[in-house]
Amino acid sequence: MAEGSGIRWTNDPGPLGFACRHGFPVPIMLPKVLVIDMDMLQLSIQVGVNGLMFGIVYILMALGFTMIFGIMRVVNFAHGEFYMLGAIAVLLLFGKLGYDYYLSLTIAVLFVGLFGVVVERLLLRSLVGRELNSMIMTLAISITMLSMVAIIFGPQEQSVDRPVSGIFQIAGVIIPQDRVMVGAIAMAVLVVFYLFLHYARFGLAMRAVAQDSGAAELQGIRPGFIYSLAFGVGSMLAGLAGALMAPIYTISPFMGDVPMMMAFIVVILGGLGSIPGAVVGGLLLGLVESVFSTFFGSTAATMIAFGMVVLILLVKPSGLMGRAQ
Amino acid sequence: MATEAEQAFCVVSNNSLYLRRAIQVHRGDRADQGSRRVDGGCIVCEKEMTVKKSIQASVFALAGLAAVSSFQVSADEELTIGVVSALEGPGSEWGRGVDGGTKIAAKEINDAGGLTVNGTTYQINVRSYNDGYAASAAVSAVTRLIEQDEVNFILGPLGSGSALAVKPMYEENGILALVNSYSPKTLENVRYTYRVLPTTAEYSGPIVGWIHENHPDIKSVAIISPNDQTGWDSQKFQEATYEKFGYDIVGTELFERSTKNFQPFVTRIMAQKPDLIELDTTPPGTAGLIIRQAREMGYQGRFSKIGGPGVPEIVDAAGKDFAEGTIVYVAADTNNPKYQELEEAYAEIYSPPMNAFNVFFYDAAHMLFQAIERAGTVEDTEKVRQELEAMAPYEGMQGTLNWGGEDTYGNNHQLQTPTFVGMIKDGKEVIVNRIGVQ
Repeated sequence: MAEGSGIRWTNDPGPLGFACRHGFPVPIMLPKVLVIDMDMLQLSIQVGVNGLMFGIVYILMALGFTMIFGIMRVVNFAHGEFYMLGAIAVLLLFGKLGYDYYLSLTIAVLFVGLFGVVVERLLLRSLVGRELNSMIMTLAISITMLSMVAIIFGPQEQSVDRPVSGIFQIAGVIIPQDRVMVGAIAMAVLVVFYLFLHYARFGLAMRAVAQDSGAAELQGIRPGFIYSLAFGVGSMLAGLAGALMAPIYTISPFMGDVPMMMAFIVVILGGLGSIPGAVVGGLLLGLVESVFSTFFGSTAATMIAFGMVVLILLVKPSGLMGRAQ
Repeated sequence: MATEAEQAFCVVSNNSLYLRRAIQVHRGDRADQGSRRVDGGCIVCEKEMTVKKSIQASVFALAGLAAVSSFQVSADEELTIGVVSALEGPGSEWGRGVDGGTKIAAKEINDAGGLTVNGTTYQINVRSYNDGYAASAAVSAVTRLIEQDEVNFILGPLGSGSALAVKPMYEENGILALVNSYSPKTLENVRYTYRVLPTTAEYSGPIVGWIHENHPDIKSVAIISPNDQTGWDSQKFQEATYEKFGYDIVGTELFERSTKNFQPFVTRIMAQKPDLIELDTTPPGTAGLIIRQAREMGYQGRFSKIGGPGVPEIVDAAGKDFAEGTIVYVAADTNNPKYQELEEAYAEIYSPPMNAFNVFFYDAAHMLFQAIERAGTVEDTEKVRQELEAMAPYEGMQGTLNWGGEDTYGNNHQLQTPTFVGMIKDGKEVIVNRIGVQ
């Protein structure tokens, strides 16, 4: 943080009514309020930048999840494990075998996509459209993948070196270079994904199947091929998120749980099956998490995130940009 | 009128597909063999009675074989010891220390011929369960150990939430438990629960005192801890200790254990400009993440981690440069030859690196086995408990161990062990001071 930001803590409840933690009789810690005296703009920009960096990764996770549901009506509870698989592939290729990081990233993404295609073909094809059955199947796949990785690689957290290090500092706002790399690659992939969906033959076919698989079939589109493509691309997006975050955080078989939960929140906020909704929901969640974590603590941020889910489900169950069923 | 045996056979056969099919096979021949219908509709014939007798004979033979086998096994009895700990996820480096140390000690005893208790030799079997640092899973694990595995001795749990949840089970069932959770409440009002390694309450004072003496430039501190029972209790202790030495506590933070992204935290903390960020009982891998993210955000001050050890994980996650100069609590002297032997034994159970908690539980397990031997019983935990207390002072791997803690906990169930102050230099843990047994 830059000098002279003049930020201090207060024990006064203040207008928002938060009480100080000290002396509070129950173990639930209420946040202290961060009172800003000056340089609010700088802090706001920092918080905003942090939020955008979180949001980009949430978008990658949520896009794959919502696309799979939109096209196949499959709720993929194993999505977090595909994220983990991407990170594990980077651990193996970059961390242990010493390949170049960007080559490892590419191979990891392709591997996870191919693995997704195999899983879809062998285990999920017969469950397309059957949401409850597919939920249970993907849950079983999730547990199996997690356990296998834990057995092979061990349950402990591991780290890999960062491909880039250092920071950019712009007007007192600090942006780590590795986060910029993640953001840049994620943005590029999102643009390619958008172009694919709107201009590529197979992308248009996927959207057609999502709208009406029967009508799409009448147009000569093979739904089976599209399901494999959708699941593969969705898995690739999750694998990419995991592979990008592998050098940023630690890597373990259990690292997919929180991203899975975040993907769920994002698609509920944005609308299950809605791709623009996933983008809006991801950015919204990232910003909300950043603001509330910074000013009120992570517990408050988690509470607010789930509070938004409750509100959306009550007011607009189809999500911000989803279509009513 | 059917005999009782035939009626019993009817009940079995009516419910048994195999026997029903056997009856059906014979039914085709029955007309020639003088079968008779029994009350209740069950068809019995001479051949079916033969089948029944054959099955009965087989069952008796199998029972006899089992009896003979069990007779052979009883010459080499098995003593099952339970371990409950976080074997996966954040904190598992410590959890595998509990499990690894216990298993290494058990293997040493077994390789030397077993544990001889009152004339019977036992092979020690360590039954381990993962509680994932969660109280609910610890309760399930301990319930299973007590009711299904029928153990009388348990090492663990690791987490304070877990320990407080299972403490009543230990006390009600008379389970002699050697725990390592950091909460002071773990040892309140207990008879069968003992803690076998020092906690923040034991070593934070001496280490903060060392910081005060050797780093007078440090005036203000921010403390970060996990948001659970372990973190709440240890953070209170840390705050009180730093305040006692005159430090200005500029902030205290609690984070969910699953958190990986600490940028919001770091933003908050750096706004308070602490000279020192105390990482308390944060798991080592997570501590490394906080250090890295804070350094990337421009934090220039020092870090300390007066909590569970784990320098290799801290350096892996933070990077060597960012971790340089971090003051740490050191549980074990890695230059000790016995420590290196323990590392080799650990590598046969889990992937390296070995966490120093293995040392505590290696010593604790050996103390327990000796206490069982001296008490002459594997069932009477009260006798074993008394022998365990009587064994102090005990020569552990690194020095003298003694029971203490009366002033803090109201009993002497806290094992006092040698403690070290360390610093991370060039990615390695270097001991800068040794604190003897209090």
